[in-house]
Amino acid sequence: MQKTWRSSVLLAYSLAVLAFLYLPLIILALYSFNDSRINAVWSGFTFKWYQALFQNTRVLEALTNTLIIGFFSTIISTALGTTAAIALHRYHYKFKTVINGLVYLPILIPEIVMGLSLLVLFSQAHLPLGKPTLILAHITFCVSFVVITVGARMEGMRNDLEQAASDLYATPWQTFRYITLPLIMPGIIAGALIAFTLSIDDFVISFFVAGPNSTTLPLYIYAMVKRGISPEINALSTLMMCATVSMVVLAEILQPRHHHRSQEE
Amino acid sequence: MKNGKLLVAPTVLWLCVFFIIPMLIVVAVSFASRTPYGQVVFNWTFSNYQRFAEALYISIFGQTLVVAFITTVVTILMGYPVAWSIAKLPKKWQQPGLVIVMAPFWINFLIRSYAWVIILRSQGVINTILLKLGLITTPLQMLYNEGAVMLGMIYALLPFMVLPIYVSIEQLDRRLLEAAADLGAAPMTAFRKITLPLTMPGIAAGTILVFISSLGMFVVPDVMGGAKSALIGNLIQNQFLSARDWPFGSALSIVLAVLSLVLIMLYYKVLNTQKGGADDAKDVA
Amino acid sequence: MKKYVSLLLFLLLSLLSGCSTGPSGTTTPPKSAPSSQQQTLNLYSWADNFNPEVLAAFEKKYNCKINYDVFANNEELLAKIQAGGSSYDVIQPSDYMVATMIKLKLLEPLEVKALPNTKGIIPALRAPSFDPEGKYSVVYTWGVTGIAYNKKFVKDTPKSWHDLWNPAYKGRLILLNDSREVLGMALKMHGYSNNSTNPAEVQTALKDLQKLMPSILAFDTDTIKQKFIAEEAWIGTMWSGDAYFTYKDNKNIGFVIPEEGATIWADTFAIPKGSKNKELAEKFINYLYDPEVSAKNYEYIGYNDPNEKSEQYHSKEYNNDPFLKAAKDYITKGEWLKDIGDALPMYDKAWTELKTGK
Repeated sequence: MQKTWRSSVLLAYSLAVLAFLYLPLIILALYSFNDSRINAVWSGFTFKWYQALFQNTRVLEALTNTLIIGFFSTIISTALGTTAAIALHRYHYKFKTVINGLVYLPILIPEIVMGLSLLVLFSQAHLPLGKPTLILAHITFCVSFVVITVGARMEGMRNDLEQAASDLYATPWQTFRYITLPLIMPGIIAGALIAFTLSIDDFVISFFVAGPNSTTLPLYIYAMVKRGISPEINALSTLMMCATVSMVVLAEILQPRHHHRSQEE
Repeated sequence: MKNGKLLVAPTVLWLCVFFIIPMLIVVAVSFASRTPYGQVVFNWTFSNYQRFAEALYISIFGQTLVVAFITTVVTILMGYPVAWSIAKLPKKWQQPGLVIVMAPFWINFLIRSYAWVIILRSQGVINTILLKLGLITTPLQMLYNEGAVMLGMIYALLPFMVLPIYVSIEQLDRRLLEAAADLGAAPMTAFRKITLPLTMPGIAAGTILVFISSLGMFVVPDVMGGAKSALIGNLIQNQFLSARDWPFGSALSIVLAVLSLVLIMLYYKVLNTQKGGADDAKDVA
Repeated sequence: MKKYVSLLLFLLLSLLSGCSTGPSGTTTPPKSAPSSQQQTLNLYSWADNFNPEVLAAFEKKYNCKINYDVFANNEELLAKIQAGGSSYDVIQPSDYMVATMIKLKLLEPLEVKALPNTKGIIPALRAPSFDPEGKYSVVYTWGVTGIAYNKKFVKDTPKSWHDLWNPAYKGRLILLNDSREVLGMALKMHGYSNNSTNPAEVQTALKDLQKLMPSILAFDTDTIKQKFIAEEAWIGTMWSGDAYFTYKDNKNIGFVIPEEGATIWADTFAIPKGSKNKELAEKFINYLYDPEVSAKNYEYIGYNDPNEKSEQYHSKEYNNDPFLKAAKDYITKGEWLKDIGDALPMYDKAWTELKTGK
């Protein structure tokens, strides 16, 4: 039937895009076994970068910092962004355009300007630079992305279910908890994923608001560039990749059945 | 929720403290000038904005817009089908699907860009394979040109298109498409008349995220483009990191932000005039 | 909902206070107070700039902990120090940045008595033009910008900067991605100073570079080594220390300092105003110039050792390396890059024009 060739073309196309996304990572993984320190040409197989990695406390510390900061900024920015998106979609505000503008602006300002201006703010407020300032900064640039992503979901949402719930005397809280939240959940998850991705890969803003003892992985890697990025970083990236993929698979296997009962259909 | 309106307050408050206040400083700096040693003196001048009006800087802006536009269009073309495929997966596989698409982006950007260099350079993976196969006799020069910059941009920004579009497609009511098919609409027509308008919010959100992010890019032109061209992101970066001209850099950033904001508003205006179509489609159901 | 908002705020506040442990109050030393008598040295430097064993040995000898943080660019370092609030004890600005920081009064004068080991430094590096009295900085790593080339493809040994303009190297030429280095090179070629503030001279340099543009493979500072090793690039401008690195992985690489003269550069040690631990900082600097320690350190990082007294502790290979030697012999002849103040925007504009082809 026509429908099947259409969907197989679609699948093939999607897999091709996925291959495009993963191609550099395969190269990266291969080069983590490369003997050369400088990573320019292939010069032999080795495990030494993996051994070196586990002795390199500075890299591991940077990784921990990155994950801690990513975790907190994702949670807080997702909570803030989601509530804002809901309110903006549901209520009429006198200054809606102003609020919308406010939400978009942090994305429009070049990172370096935001980083510098936050540095000035924190130093004026005598806030010691470190992990807390990093988290504050990350939340600030992540919030907008969450609002926009959740907002896109709200815009396409049907209102009839919420209507029906309140007709059936559900309290606003119940309506939110049992109708709205499940309906917009995919939007929230997508927003959180974007926030997390932005946070763990941010360099420019982080640079300015980081203090002693709060070096993140991107900061460490960018600073390494001058001397040549050590293949330990390739090893680390490879391990992170494997950990992510296996976590996804594991979560699927371990998750109890009834969790999957679809909320929507 | 009686005080539901206040739900927007935490975010607004947050952005006022951590964004608006610092931004006021930036606006002030954009009207200042630099001392010989790069310090800022506040003497309220308009010269930083006047400097921007030079043909040199305008042309950089123009080129950046072209690159951003192409990046956005290509990411839509690449991202839409992927988002569609994920949204059509069985429910339990959708979230893992999303994570699989996002996971490459949890590896440091610089590292991934260098991996592309290894793939594309004259002694790189692709050239080696092509040479071994005898398809070419001299290595192709695939790096350090505008094509490589585009590739890097698309690669870096694709997920920001996929996610919002997925969010829209996922909530698409399939009954609409079935109804259309029952009424004899060709799949292409159904897509154009129903699917596309209904998933427009996702495309719009993705477009904004990708377009805006590509305006500020500066690492990609350096690594993939061999730093041979200057985009607005590089220009701004240079003002802070080599020319030590914070006032000019601030002025450039403000011009960039205002310009982007205008573009966004225009974009939404265009979308809203088309929105009639989407609502019609909803009424059919 | 409100409950959640306040929970969120609570979480945030506890996070903020939790991370800045130690006795309450904002003026206390930074970060988690180390155990009783152990001191902390906040070091702010380039990544991978020390032999880790040397750092560990210092920590052990002086019973302290080193917080080694990294930056990637001098201007970032400046912004961070100017804003204050980061409380670093030892920083590593490059030559011209030392001059700027002295002018902006951001550096603490060094106590000469506390640094006896620095007497071993090559005289030419003891009072360089960026810090004429040697009061604020000590040279740590240094080198010369010359021409690196691959002998397989470049048959005639380059002698002059003019050789970069040879059309035979079209598409295989690489220049440092730095406005001062590139314009400085073209200025040197014409016999001008690499610190020229004369617009006509800078324009001449720009014109020549614009002619070179079609030949250029890329501008690159950070991964230039990889480009030479992989033989993507055949010829280009490079720092002597990087050339030494590159040679280890590709024996075809040669390095020359052109006859018209070249730029020399250095990264230094300095102590920023506001250091909470100046004494320990000086002990650290002094320690790194101990002849044995510095030999161990420079063998690892592969740059020129500025310490004459450590020569006997270095390996033969290091002492006889032609690249490091070439740089060393040149040290009195090179010209430092200076902070050119008001002329900096002019250089930036020329740089932008070069890249946009306008």
